[in-house]
Amino acid sequence: MFEPRPQEPAYAFIPDAPHPETNRYGKPIETVPEGHALRGASLNINGDSSVGTNPNRYKQHGFYFSADNCIACHACEAACSEKNNLPAHIAFRSVGYVEGGSFPAYARMNISMACNHCDDPVCLKGCPTLAYTKFAEYGAVLQDPDICFGCGYCTWVCPYNAPQLDPVAGHVSKCNMCVDRLEVGLKPACAAACLAGALDFGVIETTHEHREQLETRLPGFPTPEITHPNIRFQQAKSLPREMRRTDSMPLRYVRDERHANVYTPTVAEDGRPRQWNLKKLRSREDPLVIFTLVSQAVVGAFLVLFLGPLFGVTMFAHAAHPLLHATLLLGLLGIETVALVLSTLHLGRPHRFYRAFNNLRNSPVSREVAGIAVFYNLLGAYTLFTAVPGLFAWLPRSLLELAVQVSGWGALLAGLAAIYFMSRIYRIPARPFWNHWQVLASFFGNVLSLGALTAGLAYLWAGDAGAGLAQTLALPVLAGLLLEGVGLAYHARDLTRGGGEGAASHYLQRTDFGYTYWARNAGLALSALMALALAWLGGGALSWGLLALLVFGTAIVGRALFYVLVVPTTMPGAFFWRNRGFERHARETGLADLPQMGIVPDAH
Amino acid sequence: MLFGRKQKNPIKIADVGVTKWEYTTCGYCSTGCSIEVGLDRQGRAVASRGVADADVNRGKLCIKGIFEHELFKSSGRGTTPLMRDSRLQAFRETNWDSALDKTGAEIKRIQSRYGRDAFAIISTGQIMTEEFYTLGKLARGVIGTNNYDGNTTLCMASSVSGYKRSFGSDGPPGCYEDFEHTECLLAIGSNLPEQHPIIYWRLKMALEKRKFPVIVVDPRVTMFAQMADVHLAITPGTDLVLLNSLAHVILKEDLADRAYIDAHTNGFDEFAALVEQYDPVSASRVCGIDADTIRHVARLYAKAGAAMTIWTMGINQSTHGSDGVVAINNLNLITGNIGKPGGTALSITGQSNAMGTREWSSCSGLPGYRYLESEADRKEVAAFWGIDAEFFPKQRGMFMTDILPAIETGQIKGLWLVATNPMTSMPNTPRIRKTLEKLEFLVVQDAYRDVETNEYAHVYLPAAVWAEKEGVFTNTERRVNLVRNVIRPPADAKPDFWIFSQLAKRFAGERKLPHFPETPEGAFEEMKQLSKGRMLDYSGMSYAKIEQQRGMQWPCTEGADSGTPRLYSDGKFQHADGKARLIPLPFIDNNERPDTDYPFWLNSGRVVEHFHTRTRTGKIGNLNKFSPTPYMEMNPDAARALGIAHGSYARLASRRGDAVVMVQLTQRVPRDMAFIPFHFHECVNRLTLGLLDPHSRQPAFKHCAVKIEPAPDQAAAARINAAARAY
Repeated sequence: MFEPRPQEPAYAFIPDAPHPETNRYGKPIETVPEGHALRGASLNINGDSSVGTNPNRYKQHGFYFSADNCIACHACEAACSEKNNLPAHIAFRSVGYVEGGSFPAYARMNISMACNHCDDPVCLKGCPTLAYTKFAEYGAVLQDPDICFGCGYCTWVCPYNAPQLDPVAGHVSKCNMCVDRLEVGLKPACAAACLAGALDFGVIETTHEHREQLETRLPGFPTPEITHPNIRFQQAKSLPREMRRTDSMPLRYVRDERHANVYTPTVAEDGRPRQWNLKKLRSREDPLVIFTLVSQAVVGAFLVLFLGPLFGVTMFAHAAHPLLHATLLLGLLGIETVALVLSTLHLGRPHRFYRAFNNLRNSPVSREVAGIAVFYNLLGAYTLFTAVPGLFAWLPRSLLELAVQVSGWGALLAGLAAIYFMSRIYRIPARPFWNHWQVLASFFGNVLSLGALTAGLAYLWAGDAGAGLAQTLALPVLAGLLLEGVGLAYHARDLTRGGGEGAASHYLQRTDFGYTYWARNAGLALSALMALALAWLGGGALSWGLLALLVFGTAIVGRALFYVLVVPTTMPGAFFWRNRGFERHARETGLADLPQMGIVPDAH
Repeated sequence: MLFGRKQKNPIKIADVGVTKWEYTTCGYCSTGCSIEVGLDRQGRAVASRGVADADVNRGKLCIKGIFEHELFKSSGRGTTPLMRDSRLQAFRETNWDSALDKTGAEIKRIQSRYGRDAFAIISTGQIMTEEFYTLGKLARGVIGTNNYDGNTTLCMASSVSGYKRSFGSDGPPGCYEDFEHTECLLAIGSNLPEQHPIIYWRLKMALEKRKFPVIVVDPRVTMFAQMADVHLAITPGTDLVLLNSLAHVILKEDLADRAYIDAHTNGFDEFAALVEQYDPVSASRVCGIDADTIRHVARLYAKAGAAMTIWTMGINQSTHGSDGVVAINNLNLITGNIGKPGGTALSITGQSNAMGTREWSSCSGLPGYRYLESEADRKEVAAFWGIDAEFFPKQRGMFMTDILPAIETGQIKGLWLVATNPMTSMPNTPRIRKTLEKLEFLVVQDAYRDVETNEYAHVYLPAAVWAEKEGVFTNTERRVNLVRNVIRPPADAKPDFWIFSQLAKRFAGERKLPHFPETPEGAFEEMKQLSKGRMLDYSGMSYAKIEQQRGMQWPCTEGADSGTPRLYSDGKFQHADGKARLIPLPFIDNNERPDTDYPFWLNSGRVVEHFHTRTRTGKIGNLNKFSPTPYMEMNPDAARALGIAHGSYARLASRRGDAVVMVQLTQRVPRDMAFIPFHFHECVNRLTLGLLDPHSRQPAFKHCAVKIEPAPDQAAAARINAAARAY
């Protein structure tokens, strides 16, 4: 049991205050009823099997933050980092701010934020390894770094930047609500350390002394609709109409004149110039650029190859070119293997890769990985059955044929399902730039375009095909490009209309990466024209190769943009801490090499 | 509503394995928080926590205190003495005997060749009171230089001087508990949330119990200004005009406490005649606060049953800092707000033991608020130390800010720096470099061998830091609190106390040496005897009693159970006639002001995560990461006109030098002002002028004129900036 200090002051203990039966989201505040099997169990903190004495152990708890009072003294952040023994580059709690007005009618509003132990924890649902648990005790959402394999998906889905992916340790960790302190009735370390009467803690929906508001909205705080967070705000002091961020995110928050407390995230256009920024296309997600494109190309190539004969492309039948057919299949398996290895190494803890399947019930990551795994294995089986039928001479012919058909159709369906789940991974409300059907359109567009190009490359380079093949295959290429193009056009339109973080991404797309963005769009248009020409006139290996170069090049740039442009709904940062722009600057200039900067130097 | 794994692993929560908590007092600022350091089984310091039943901090700590245990393993610590013949050579490691022999011999050589005062000593506000007392004994009673001062001249000298002028003695008369009683708080040039977060918390808790008006005077919209009921965004350097005008209104409207004035003060008529000139309309033209607001604040303050003023560097670091303090004292004297609950003039002190050095270091005189100018004091101390009273000079010598120019022009040839870093902390650092170059001998005694000033040292003495040794600190409210020795210093680093007494031995045979006690507690006993019956009476204290009460406020007379929260409650002051003085303070605007060539005010100040020149906090990641590199707050409207972008680098130039900083655009500062934290090496003090206050000799760090331009080559600016950041 956690040991309170001698003479522990009253402020450190959780106040007992009346609360309603249910919270504002309609959920009971009591987590499990009297007599429930989950009651009375030990939390087993550090192997201690005792059971806490807190009388409100089975009630949802949450943080209370008064933006009226916070002075950004960092005591909460420091107390948290000290309690959890965190290195400088990791913080479970961070204070950022927004500011507005003109001197001297200026106001800065600080926001201290950790995990909100949500009613609907998207981290828990998204985590493929089931590293998260929402406990009956205090409603705490806890994450177990020993289960986590460091994919970082929870850091994508959380709107509050609560889970922390540690690039050094290779796993995620996060706020644990100081459940060890709660067991003895103490507030979490952060709330007990607050020096301004700003941060407090208790059973959710209770009004504490010196507080009058229980808001769930605050300028800079994402909509509570995503996760039903267990945090309540007070922000009663008048603020300027517009609050700006000091970090590098081009966002400001503009008061909705109809609702004084509602501030809408809006793009902060600052007249920044249009640039290429090709170097900045590189990111931690580079392996995912490769993995997604390769997987889409492989699934697509198999689709074209397998379905080709049904659409009259007889030369794709195995019997037509047995060697080429087999070589292509083996080639597909080969590059998919490389892509899988890359994506596995992208994990913080690659040796735990097998845990990816733990959360098939909820996580699109688990489902995607499962889909890819099934596809990969069935593709292998199909390759084996078709490339070396001699091995199966002992089988009745019809049975072998059945095996070919089952593995082929199975791989096809699994591949398509995998790509579908792959697209679902990015449908994250906390990442508006991704949360659009364009992802589906792009991914399946790439299945068609990259797949047909790959299959075509193999056959055209082998020199066996006539102009007719290019003409036929140009059609799926064209369809794929058009699908992607239409998706992107709607995406741009909807981002602008939707405002907020999505529009901010689009603003960066048109400025910081402006030339790159238009080059990608031009690449798509040019590719489509070329594919059209090929469909009309036919062409040989050379023109096909040129088209492939163009399409693949465009796809790589497009996918890289997809990853670097996302502006999450996370909390505003400060000028240095939690400022992506400064972090990048520190890495580029070598400042980050000093360990006390709290910024991990670039790994890639 | 519950989901996740059915089979749960045990929950793991970090446990650093504390087996023992050791009581001590925080070594950063002068709030004086009681802190416990957690030691693990191997005796390593692994945790810090506030002491729950300590009156000052009541279990709380600020960010610096929360990570104070990391201090012990921070980089750059000195582990063995270093020596070299010339600053152009590399240091070589040596032992204590050689380093101290060399230091002793050089002091003697310089003194015999150029005179006793040609060797100067500049100390600090960082070490223990017993160490200050011992250093004072060494400086005054053994080495015998009169050019001996502390770096407190850079921070609290104006308060010391102002208290002496008004009340006849140094010593802040109030305490934190005054927040619980006051009916009006005026904070001038004090940014509690950044500088003294625990004191801010005490204020905030008092306000939550009982609301009273808070008025903050600051040229920037600090968080404190934002939290205040009234924010007076004053024109830099004009606080004296505002204070005179407040007094004007109070006298004009007959709101003064005439009975108190008559009974306890002198000089009212001259004072009244002077403030007569400061009508709110004329004052508003100078200080930028409109006449209505001046009248409103004056009435609020005077009509409050008890009103208090707090201040920090915004007052002290000014060309008329001492006058500013006296003006605050005047305001409180004419409203009868001295020595009563909630009514006080309380300087919020800077360094952990700035008070200790003021009381006991003999920098400005002799220990225990005694004066060199007083024959009785000289004789008393000489007798107590067992030396010849004639050895003492009859007048105090130079202040720190006069010692350095005397080095520049050759009157002083040797210098000993104890736990201070003038290469970063002094105004106009280009001039300081030029000055330090000229020394024939410089000895730097510091916990960190990478302290910037060491670049010019001939001998470096590695000192223990904070709780690597034992002794007491005095805080802002005169509370003496105990630093217990919780851990050994690294390698061959030694407590300053030991270094002082060892160096004294090098002077044996020269003259009769005073006795140097073996332990800090021995020195504490001497201090108790010397303090008996004086205002700063320590005689009722003991280490055990201090720890048990979590600090005791002086005066604490022999046999008393506890200390005294306030001074002058009886209306008796330390001037010979027992009265306080009301002093007329004409405002002379002698400082540099923005003009067409240098159109911006430059203001400097503190950020909460750093302490002073960052030798400690710059190495602790969980502090440093919040402001890891120098920056400037600048108004976005002004920046737009100059083509300066948020997050880019800008170059500032003054008539002294230039500096490159990262730009943070914010409306917190007015259009014609830039604000730069003072903590960073090769930064704001390359620009500052630092004219000296005539009474306190404290430099006016807070305001000078600069011009600002975008750094022409951003990549080069980033390189220059990174190169200046060794930590």
